[in-house]
Amino acid sequence: MDILNQLKIQAEQVEVLSLQNEKTTVEYEANQLKNCSVAETKGTAVRVIRKGLLGFAASSDETAMDKLAAHALESATFGDKAQFSFPDTKPAPIVRTFDKVVADLSIGRLAEIGQEILDLVLTVEPEARCNISLERAIVSASIRNQKDLDVTFKTSPLSFGLEIDRIEGDDVLIVFDQFGTTVWEKDYMDFAHRLVEKLIKARTITSIKPGTMPVLFAPSGTLALVLPLSQGLNGKEVYKGTSPLAGKIGEKIFDEKISMVDDGTIDGKFASSSYDDEGVPRRCNSLIEKGVLKSFIYDLKTAAQSGVESTGNASRGLFNPPEPSGTNLVIQPGKTSLKDILAGMDNGIIVEDLLGIGQGNIISGAFSNPLALAFKVEKGEIVGRVKDLSIAGNIYDLLKNVDAVSKETQWVYSTVCAPYILMPEMNVSGKA
Amino acid sequence: MRDRINEALKRSKADYTEIRIEEKETTRAAFRGKELEVANANIDKGGIVRCLIKNKGWGVATFNDLDDLLNKTDQAYQCAQVGSVPEPIELASVEPVEKISTVEMKRDFRDIPLSEKKALAEHYNQVVMGYSNKIIDTQAVYVDTFSKIILANSEGTYIEQDRPSVVMRTTAIARDGDNVQQAHDSVSSTQGYEYVLNKDEMVKMVAQHAVELLAAKPVKGGQYTVVANQMLAGVFIHEAFGHLSEADFVYENPKAREMMSLGRRFGKGILNVFDDGSVPNQRGTTLYDDEGTPARRNWLIQNGELVGRLHSRQTAGKMGEKASGNARAINYRFAPIVRMTNTAIENGTTSFEDMIKDIELGIYACEAYGGQTQLENFSFSSGYAYMIRNGKIAEMVKDVILAGNLFSTLENIDAIGNDFAWIKTGGGCGKGNQYPLPVGMGAPHIRIQNVVIGGE
Repeated sequence: MDILNQLKIQAEQVEVLSLQNEKTTVEYEANQLKNCSVAETKGTAVRVIRKGLLGFAASSDETAMDKLAAHALESATFGDKAQFSFPDTKPAPIVRTFDKVVADLSIGRLAEIGQEILDLVLTVEPEARCNISLERAIVSASIRNQKDLDVTFKTSPLSFGLEIDRIEGDDVLIVFDQFGTTVWEKDYMDFAHRLVEKLIKARTITSIKPGTMPVLFAPSGTLALVLPLSQGLNGKEVYKGTSPLAGKIGEKIFDEKISMVDDGTIDGKFASSSYDDEGVPRRCNSLIEKGVLKSFIYDLKTAAQSGVESTGNASRGLFNPPEPSGTNLVIQPGKTSLKDILAGMDNGIIVEDLLGIGQGNIISGAFSNPLALAFKVEKGEIVGRVKDLSIAGNIYDLLKNVDAVSKETQWVYSTVCAPYILMPEMNVSGKA
Repeated sequence: MRDRINEALKRSKADYTEIRIEEKETTRAAFRGKELEVANANIDKGGIVRCLIKNKGWGVATFNDLDDLLNKTDQAYQCAQVGSVPEPIELASVEPVEKISTVEMKRDFRDIPLSEKKALAEHYNQVVMGYSNKIIDTQAVYVDTFSKIILANSEGTYIEQDRPSVVMRTTAIARDGDNVQQAHDSVSSTQGYEYVLNKDEMVKMVAQHAVELLAAKPVKGGQYTVVANQMLAGVFIHEAFGHLSEADFVYENPKAREMMSLGRRFGKGILNVFDDGSVPNQRGTTLYDDEGTPARRNWLIQNGELVGRLHSRQTAGKMGEKASGNARAINYRFAPIVRMTNTAIENGTTSFEDMIKDIELGIYACEAYGGQTQLENFSFSSGYAYMIRNGKIAEMVKDVILAGNLFSTLENIDAIGNDFAWIKTGGGCGKGNQYPLPVGMGAPHIRIQNVVIGGE
């Protein structure tokens, strides 16, 4: 008997997630096409609510469905009281997440794209070493529950990762970026071009006197700000009382130049889909509007605990129950062009990449990171790369006073879209 | 199963074929705050076939359906045909082994009912929650895993080994207004359930540190003499140095090879560092690695000089060195890559009192949140720290993040403690997409001069 029907007899509520995933990866290591792999993953995860208590179990062994059902029921004997119900089917936005062009990409074609990326880098930097990973997957997931919800979605994630090392004497530079999409994009080489631009700009090395100065976060550098913030906006952290933003809905927490949405409905983006991993429709959640805190993100469980509705942000792997998680995070563009922002900088730095993002007590908003790649701006001109510097601060203080947000935005690391953000002054430390 | 594996190996046309089958059961009881997150059991079963065609490359197929082994072997072979390496890939030779080993735990956690594991996590959770009303959130997570792994290759190796692990992890989050601080600790064992019992003291310390951090001031940025406790010293040697000694970092890179050339001075004569997967009962202990190479002690730094590195068969073959037993994979979804096992700074001779007595202004940094390295640049954060003033441990400070250049930092280690300890925490190491891999770390206290500490 189907595990859903079987468990329906034994529990009030049942949810069955079936996952099927096939993935092809082609890897260039140190400029050589060396590894190629195919992966097939199948698995089933079950949640039950029995006598009001929630249980969870998962298995990748298709021959062990009875054991899986028994595990789920056992788990429910200990489970916490479920304050929520699995959802009814609701109309969802139509979001493009599957593209036959992507699904049909052959191993040979992936290898060709890898070669194209490699040729691009080596033409400009013959001494560079590239690790390139090209990955194409077809993911099918179905979520069914006792309310006859039966949502199936198919996505075709495609991602290219590029890491370039350039070592010259004692000078080491490593840059990385990733491009991710679920529908074919003809501009798939853009991310590689941008990375090469960074390498070219980084050829000139200069120095700057540590101290207090304006700091311009490039889109890739904003990750140091976005990561603590996305934790603080997570409904689970809010419910647990650990988020510094708890209880501040409607308050002005940041400079009015800062607006941010979590949007799981953008066609083709990596974290997009019509439904979240509990079968709740995805949507665009306005989180911060002109500096005012508007909303947190929730899944069913944390929403029920907090007395609100799920925001369609449930996310899960096979072996873990759902958790609230951001989808595509978009910091809205500002009013100033990058050119004008730079023109207004007399002596400062642009932060491109930081080392150790996400370490430390980030829920508090604090960060302290060495700069892996930064440029000096002098009288409005980018004059070269600066090394051995670090910055520290707390995003909840910093973002209260922002000098400018650029009109230009950029997708970085597949799921974050950010402008350039200028802080009027930050302490930049380094060996004097 | 063994017959099916042999049939597949025989049929493969590749120069080298390797099959690994894994069956893993995980039990978990996790509390967060007042609530139970989950108490359950998961089953994960699957396999990987890896084929090498020497003058082309590697092909890999991973799967859950074990009945499909022959088909998957063909797929892996086809994948290997895609590669186009300029020079043939030669694997360092390793004596084929046939070995079937099983693990005997003192108290086998598989015999303990889930209700008891849940009660244990709940108890520790209450210890943290009850410490102070400033503790607003907690985590108490019990996880045990038991993996049965079969590894076989076309050279005649056939190994069955068990990998048990039990971990108890606690987090305390304390809050005072907008000030939110956290502390963690964990304990792990490959030996059985009893090792995570009676940990109330450890758990209480977690709560105490989180509460104390509320009153701590952020450290003032600058250069300091830093004394690192055993755990931070262990994390430092793992993160900042260990990853560079993984040969896949240097073997295709002439410049990195130059940077890591054997014989280069890496520190003062007092510094000795090794990696050893054969130390009994540590978190990174493994009889054989995931290519069937037996674990052994590999000296990396002796008397301050670089003397060795960590290898897979591929990196060792390329560099004309010996396979070291460091090819490891987190599970059947991944091919093995060069990883550490148990990495340690060997015991020294300086007592802790002697180490701090002459420090006028310094930092005593303890525990670690994690870190990142990029070649010779590293950054990692301590869990909590104290100022050292006039040779004495003084007030607690927070947000202590150590950053710097590996070579100058190792050279600046000028005292090594006589209080070596293996760290029993249940953490894991990440590399590539493979996280978390159980690794062990050990060290005595160490003193480092001129460390740059970030800060406002």
